[in-house]
Amino acid sequence: MLAAIRPAGQDFPVLLHIVGATIVFGALLASVGALALARGQVRLFRIGYFALLFVALPGWILMRLSGEWIYRKQGWNDVPDQLQDPTWLRIGFGVADWGGLLFLVALIVGGIAVLRLRGGKSGAGLLKVTMSIAVVLAIGYVGAVWAMTGKPNYGTAAPAQAAATGASTTAVAVTAREFNFTLSKTSVPDGEIVFTVVNRGKLAHNFWIGGKATPLVRPGQSATLRVTLDRGTFTYICTVPGHAAAGMKGSLTVR
Amino acid sequence: MSFQDWIFSFHLLFAATLVGGLVMSWIVVVALYSTRAADETLGFSRVATIANAAIILGLPGTIALGIWLAILRPEFHPWDGWIIGAIVLWVVATAAVLRSFVEYRKPVAKARELLAAGRAGASEELTALNRSATALLFRAVGSVAIVLIVIDMIYKPGA
Repeated sequence: MLAAIRPAGQDFPVLLHIVGATIVFGALLASVGALALARGQVRLFRIGYFALLFVALPGWILMRLSGEWIYRKQGWNDVPDQLQDPTWLRIGFGVADWGGLLFLVALIVGGIAVLRLRGGKSGAGLLKVTMSIAVVLAIGYVGAVWAMTGKPNYGTAAPAQAAATGASTTAVAVTAREFNFTLSKTSVPDGEIVFTVVNRGKLAHNFWIGGKATPLVRPGQSATLRVTLDRGTFTYICTVPGHAAAGMKGSLTVR
Repeated sequence: MSFQDWIFSFHLLFAATLVGGLVMSWIVVVALYSTRAADETLGFSRVATIANAAIILGLPGTIALGIWLAILRPEFHPWDGWIIGAIVLWVVATAAVLRSFVEYRKPVAKARELLAAGRAGASEELTALNRSATALLFRAVGSVAIVLIVIDMIYKPGA
């Protein structure tokens, strides 16, 4: 159950991303293990460094490039400006990018140490610095795996409450399924709009419009969203990764 | 995060520990291939201990939480073909990896024996054990089974 069900066409980049990430994680553990347990053995020091250079580095490149590929496949680069990347995605990119910078420092410091060892000098101190950075990176990757899989900022939908509508309030029923939304009205007067989102699909979805979103609505559940909108055209989407790109988006006219 | 989300997250953390441990173990296997001396063999065996611990932690954690999720989630059932396939592959992987642990213990025992006899230098017998085709085969079978589980999880029906 390594990945939830997702729209077609994203499986291969997800596979590459997971393979890259686990290669990085495994190589970091190997590097830390070899450097920590070397007990002065030069060959173990070298293996500790080469695990970073020849295994972790290609793994990081694979992970980062496939991550960017997934980002574009899921349409995150094509969502309304008001919709910021979710926290879990920012954690993932943060760990990958800042971690990449730290990783570069570890490679440079470790490289100098290995060159010193080759010249018969001591490089153990510099390799300890490399090892410390690798420990920090490994901990960061555990955090990133948790964030990318748990997606902590979605929340879950509470049972739907009857949408009380006043004189200037418009009720819109929204049906979500794989992978589209059906709205009872596609044109509404300006003012407060109460969306009642019912999930008739098999996967969890949410509904985002005008900078606000419902929590994640599980199959068979529903949620309400109150938004006040002025005149104009507003894009609505499902922010679950890949769902908008697969068709769960549209526009609502406010007149 | 709901309870199911936490279970899913820990399921994936165990899976990452398992695959990370395997990657680590392969680095040790490749390093051992060119290792001829007893003290270096023991040095790599210390690193292998961490990899083995990660694998031993990851194997049961991944399957237990995976089956639990299959029971909890309405869209999955433990009797779904892809889940049964994953369980079969998990059994193959566990058997092969555990057997490879036994095979890779042989050069460690030999290295200890050589050091006890005061022979810290290169040894042909030790080199042969470090390059054991049987150990390599079991580790490869276990690793391929794990990779197939990952592919099964990603390309599962309906995905």
